[in-house]
Amino acid sequence: MAQKKPDLSIEFCGKKYINPFLLSSSPVSNSAEMVERAFDAGWGGVVFKTLGSDRLRIDHPSPRMNSMTVGTRKMSTVQNVEQITDRPLKDNLMELLYLKKHYPDRRIIHSIMGFADKEWEYLAKMSEDHGADTLELNFSCPNMTIEGSGDQAGKSFYDIEHYTSIVKRAVSIPVMAKMTPNITDMTETAMAAKNGGADAISAINTVSGITGINLDTLVPQPEVFGRGASSGTSGPGVKPIGLRFISDMAKDANLNLPLSGMGGIETWIDALEYLLVGASTLQVTTGIMHYGYIIVQDMIEGLTDYMASKGIMKLDNLIGSTLPKLGKTDLFDLDRQGVVEYDLDKCVGCGQCLNVCTDAGGQALKWDDETRRPELNEDKCLSCMLCSFVCPVSGLIKYKAMPEGWKRNETAIRDPSLEKELKYEPYVHDGDDGCLV
Amino acid sequence: MGISDVKDRFKQMPPGMNMDQAIVEAERCLLCHDAPCSKACPAGTEPGEFIRKLRLRNITGAIRTIKSNNILGGACGVLCPTAELCERECSAMMASDENPGGSDKAIRIGDIQRFLVEHSREIDFQPVEVEESGVSGKIAVVGSGPAGLSCAAEVSKLGYKATIFEALAEPGGVLRYGVVPFRCDTDFVEKEIADVTALGVEIKCNSPIEGKAAAEDLLKQGYDAVFMAPGLWGAYALQDDSANIDGCYSSVDFLASIRNENFDNIISDFKGKTVAVIGGGSVAMDCVEAAARLDTTDVNLIYRRSYTQMPAEEIERIEALQHGINFYILHQPTEFLKDGNKLTGLKLVRTKLGEPDESGRRRPLLIEGTEWDMPADIVIEAIGNKAVDDSSDWYPNVKVDGKKLIVAESETGATSVPGIFAGGDIVRGPALVVEAVQDGKVAAKAIHEYLSDKE
Repeated sequence: MAQKKPDLSIEFCGKKYINPFLLSSSPVSNSAEMVERAFDAGWGGVVFKTLGSDRLRIDHPSPRMNSMTVGTRKMSTVQNVEQITDRPLKDNLMELLYLKKHYPDRRIIHSIMGFADKEWEYLAKMSEDHGADTLELNFSCPNMTIEGSGDQAGKSFYDIEHYTSIVKRAVSIPVMAKMTPNITDMTETAMAAKNGGADAISAINTVSGITGINLDTLVPQPEVFGRGASSGTSGPGVKPIGLRFISDMAKDANLNLPLSGMGGIETWIDALEYLLVGASTLQVTTGIMHYGYIIVQDMIEGLTDYMASKGIMKLDNLIGSTLPKLGKTDLFDLDRQGVVEYDLDKCVGCGQCLNVCTDAGGQALKWDDETRRPELNEDKCLSCMLCSFVCPVSGLIKYKAMPEGWKRNETAIRDPSLEKELKYEPYVHDGDDGCLV
Repeated sequence: MGISDVKDRFKQMPPGMNMDQAIVEAERCLLCHDAPCSKACPAGTEPGEFIRKLRLRNITGAIRTIKSNNILGGACGVLCPTAELCERECSAMMASDENPGGSDKAIRIGDIQRFLVEHSREIDFQPVEVEESGVSGKIAVVGSGPAGLSCAAEVSKLGYKATIFEALAEPGGVLRYGVVPFRCDTDFVEKEIADVTALGVEIKCNSPIEGKAAAEDLLKQGYDAVFMAPGLWGAYALQDDSANIDGCYSSVDFLASIRNENFDNIISDFKGKTVAVIGGGSVAMDCVEAAARLDTTDVNLIYRRSYTQMPAEEIERIEALQHGINFYILHQPTEFLKDGNKLTGLKLVRTKLGEPDESGRRRPLLIEGTEWDMPADIVIEAIGNKAVDDSSDWYPNVKVDGKKLIVAESETGATSVPGIFAGGDIVRGPALVVEAVQDGKVAAKAIHEYLSDKE
C-alpha cells in the first residue's frame, strides 16, 4: 500500500491554503500575467503588489535595485528602492478579478497602503468588493518618497493601531498587518496592530540598508542619477533577522496572532525554519527574483519529503516546534562543555582550521609539516567551531560533548614575569545601586 | 587555402580566463595554510598568495605578487607544465586517506596567473617598481630569453643598469623563437618583455656576444658583472649531415621560421606533404601542431619510447592526438631515406621497453628484424637542443662540462670566473621557462652580493 503523503495545506485566518507558499507583495506579484505563471508553478497564494488610490502619483526610481555578491554567490542580499504599485487601481482590480476567477483554489491577498484615513478605508472596501480573501496593510515599505507613509507609519504605535482600526471597521475580511524590521522590538508594533483589531501579522518587510557604494562616483547603490539612499534589503542575508522577529512574536502569549513569515526564504530548509519558529504561511520575493517561480516546486518537494521522513503528516504539527527550545542565553547549561573532534582520514590537508584556530580560536591546533595534518590539543579547544565552518570536508570536524565536570585549560599568560608590575586589586562589590543581580 | 588564412592559424593563442572564471576558481581554492602550490613553484611565484589576494578582491595586489616574484609570470602562466608543478600539489583535488586520488580538479593556477597578468594590461597597472637602494653598477646580460630577462629585471629593481645583448633580431629567446605563436603569441611575449624594459633594462638586438673571449671581454668593457644566458641553439640530429638533406629541418629552424612568418616559403614547402617529426617533448608537440596547420597530408610523430614516457605535457599530447597527428610510439628512426639529396622517408625499427635508464624512464630496445620504411617528404628533428658548437670559445676561462654546458653553482649561478654568472639552459641543459626565471633571480641576488662585497 502506498504511504500517505504529508499534507502541506494549512488554514490561515480562517482561509484554506493548498500550501503555505505565497508570493509576497513586491515586483514578483505586480501583474496577473506574472501571478498566473506563479500559480501554474504551484504557489498557494499571492499577496499582490501594494495597491494605492491613484491620488498621489508613484514613480519608481531608476535603477531600482542593487545586488550584493559574496564570493561567487550572486544576490546574497538585494537592495531595492521600489515603492508601491505604479499601476492605476482600476487596472490592478481587474488583474485581481482575473486571478480570483481563474484560480479559485488559490488565496488572493490584497496589500494596500493609504496616505490618509479615508484612503485606507476606501482601498480596504475596494479590495473586499473585488474578492480579496484577506488584506495586508503595508506599514513597512522603507522606500516611500511620500512623507509619513510606509515604514514611517510602521514605526508609530499610534499610526499602526489607528489605520488598522479604520480598516477593520470598514471590512469584514481578515486583516493582516505587515511589519517593518527597522525597529527594536516587533512584539510592540505587532501589539499595536492587534489593538487596532489585526487578525494576523506578516514580517519581515525589507531591512533598511546599504549594499554597496560606487567607488568612482562615491554614490551608494543603486545609484539613482547621482543620489543613493538606505533602502530595502532582502535575501538570504536577512534570514536571521526574519527568524528572530517571527520567533519573538510567536513566543509572545499576549500577541497570540497567526504569523506569515518571510525574509530570505529560497529553499525548503529556510521555509521549514520559519514554520518551526511559528510562521504558518510563508512569503517569498528575493528567491523568486533570483531563480524564478519554479523554486516553489523544490520547496514543496523538499518539505514534503522531510515531513515524510519524520512521520509528520500535517503542516500544523510542525508550526512552532522549535519554540520550546528557544529562549534567552541565561537558560544555557554552562556547566557542560565540549570540544571538537577530527576525522583525519577525510582530511585533505589545507590547514584552514589551523589558521582560524590560531588567529580567532583557542590556539588548540598544531600543524605537522610532514603529514600536513592538524593535531588537536583538546584542553585548549574553545569549541568555537570556527574550524568546522572553514573545513572544506563536511562532517570531518564535529562537536563532542565532554563528560560532566570537564574543564578546559585557561588561556596561557604571555609573560608571567609581568606579575611583579601588577597594580591589580580584586573588585569588591558593595551596595546595590543599579545592580542587576 | 590562402596564405593569410594559414597565417591566421598561427597568430594567436586561445583566449584565457575572464574575471568571472578566475573568481570561480579562486573561490574553490582551499587557501592552504602552507600552500603546497607555492612550494612547488620553481620560481617562487607564490600562487597561494596571489589566489588569496584575488579571493579577497585585492586584484592589484595579486598582480603585484606574481610580477614582483616572477617578472615573466604571464609567460609562465601560459607555458608552465602546471599539472607537473603547482597544480600537482593542489589540496583542492580533495585527496585524503579515504579518497586517495582526490575527487576534484586542481585549481587552474596557471590560467589564473595568465588572467591576472593580462588583466594588469587591461587596467594599465604597472606592478613592479625600481627600488631606491642607492646602488650603482652596470650588468651585462647575454641572451634575452627567460633567464636573461629575469636576471636583468631583478638587478634593475635593485638599482643596477642592465644591458641585454641579444644575438637575434628580436628579444625573447625561446619565448619568441622556441615556442609556436599559437601557444604563446607574439603580442603576449612582447608585453612580458615590456614589463622588463619598463624597469630600465636596455635590450640590444642583433648583438651576438661571440668570438674569442667576447663574453669575458664584457668585464673589461666596464661592466661590473656578466650573466650568461645564451640558451641552447644547437640541435641534436640523427646524423651529422642532417642539415644538408633537402627536406630535413631542425626544430630550432622550423619554429624560428614560423615565428618570423616566412609563410610564403613554409607553405610551398609543406602543402600536401607527409611530415615526420622525431621526438616526444613539448618542442616536438609544437612542431607537429604547427605542421598540421600547414595543409599537410599526414603528420607522423615518431617516438622511441611509449606514450607515458613522453616528456611533453599530457594536455599537449592529447591535443596533438585530437588534431589528427599519428603517433608512432616505440619506433626508433635509424636512417634517412633519400633520392639523391632529396628526402623520401625514414628507416624505422620497432622498439620495446627495457630497464630504466639514467632518466628513470624505461630504455627503448631495438627489436631485430622489424625495420620498415616510412615514406616522408619532410622530417623535423625535435630530439633536443645543445650548446652551439663554438660557444665555449666565447668564455674560454669559464668551466664547462662535456656537453659544453657552463658549470655554475646552483645557489648563486656563479661560474669559475669571478664576476661571470650563468643560468638557464646553458647551465641546466633543456629546462623549463620557470626554472630559467629562477636562475635569473638567484643570479641577480648573487651579483648584488658580489658587487656589495667588492666595494
